[in-house]
Amino acid sequence: MQRNTSFFSVFQASLVFLLLVLGSHVAVAASPDPTEQIRPFLAKVTATLAEPGLKSKSRQEQSDRMISVIRERFDFREMSKRVLGQQWRNLSDKEQAEFEDLFTQLLQYVYVDKIDDYSGQQIQYTLQRVKGDRAEVQTLLVDKNKSIPIFYIMILRNDQWMIYDVVVEGVSLVRNYMEQFNEILRKNGYSGLIKQLKDKIAELEKNLNKS
Amino acid sequence: MMNNQLDCVERQIRRLCLLFAMMAMMFSGHVVAAVELSGEVASSEKFAGAVDFLSDESYEKPTSDVQVSDPIEPFNRAMFTVNDKFYIWMLEPVSTGYSKIVPGDIRACIGNFFYNLGEPVRSVNCLLQGRFRDAGKTLGRFFINSICGVFGLADPAGDEFEIPPIYASFGETLSVWGVGDGFYLVVPLLGPSTLRDFSGTVVDGVASATYTPWNDDTLTTATAQGAKTVNRTSLHLGEYVEIKSMSFDSYVAFRNGYYQMRSKQYDHSTSSK
Repeated sequence: MQRNTSFFSVFQASLVFLLLVLGSHVAVAASPDPTEQIRPFLAKVTATLAEPGLKSKSRQEQSDRMISVIRERFDFREMSKRVLGQQWRNLSDKEQAEFEDLFTQLLQYVYVDKIDDYSGQQIQYTLQRVKGDRAEVQTLLVDKNKSIPIFYIMILRNDQWMIYDVVVEGVSLVRNYMEQFNEILRKNGYSGLIKQLKDKIAELEKNLNKS
Repeated sequence: MMNNQLDCVERQIRRLCLLFAMMAMMFSGHVVAAVELSGEVASSEKFAGAVDFLSDESYEKPTSDVQVSDPIEPFNRAMFTVNDKFYIWMLEPVSTGYSKIVPGDIRACIGNFFYNLGEPVRSVNCLLQGRFRDAGKTLGRFFINSICGVFGLADPAGDEFEIPPIYASFGETLSVWGVGDGFYLVVPLLGPSTLRDFSGTVVDGVASATYTPWNDDTLTTATAQGAKTVNRTSLHLGEYVEIKSMSFDSYVAFRNGYYQMRSKQYDHSTSSK
């Protein structure tokens, strides 16, 4: 009898353990796979860059087209929040919205610039890391004579992994702008930062129209 | 005539000695690797300055690991401008012309060749840092690429044997030994560095000069260095100008970029797994 109970409790324990293992697997499966979500998105971005009609369109149309694609999986609000760090909380709602809008406009030039350069480079997915509602998808942009490691840092928002930072060869875009913005904020305050952002966007627009 | 022959013999002897030294190093690497396997030396420990992008801390306190004292900022900014002008007026036009004459595949091969010549120095640095497995791998890369890759023009070690390039420099060795950065330093013609890392670069340069064939006179050395730089630049045309055009204070942008890139290079936690 004694042996039976012990056997039974071991059986029970292993059943519980099994359920736990299974349960944790189910829980993992419930949150979507970041690579599976980013893969079609990046495919769409490269397909858009390679669109035959895009190069002949006006610069304004090009950037509108790019930004509409990129908005799908970029969380520009999260990006703006992080790039300003602790300063973000000191801003009013209106100021936050204004900054987000300008910062988004600035970042679209990163991609608009690529329209002329893109020549069918392939993207390899090397590794992914998930920690709670954060994920890092490591990719390799393979060019003819070099390959560039690009990591996408993402946050989970209602079942959708949204990008809030891009790390190219170890250099995080957000952290790089953060240091620059911090200096501007320290020297010229928020109004100075907004002015510099507007100037930069105007300058980039002028250069684009020239080329 | 006699003199020439003597020279030749002397060179052969020098080469043989070098080969022996390298083989000795490789074997010692193996022995220590075995020791390491049984003892699990803490070399796989994560580098202290490594950034985990998934933790919010790296964003909240972005400057804690990147901020380095920059007491000679006015000098550095001046040097940054000098380098900028040098790049725009000299390096970029020359590299652009070169890239139009020499096809990309060949330029990639030339890049491989120069990189391969640095492998023995990298291997020694790995040893000095206690990264014994990396030391063996780097030396293995050197032998495979020198023999199967036609003097390092190709990278069969990376492509076929799946031993990717491993970063190591004397600047890093000094940091492992506990030497601090000192301060940020923009070196003329060389770019962003720190006092420690620049000293390391000098040591690495002197070390590789002992076995590279073009150090008989200054002109040849300068030509080799120039060729290496132009070739490298030709593979990265447009990148510098693009980063500059996207930045608000390009001096700060490149300083920050240098530190971020370096902390990735010094972090071997992913490559050692």
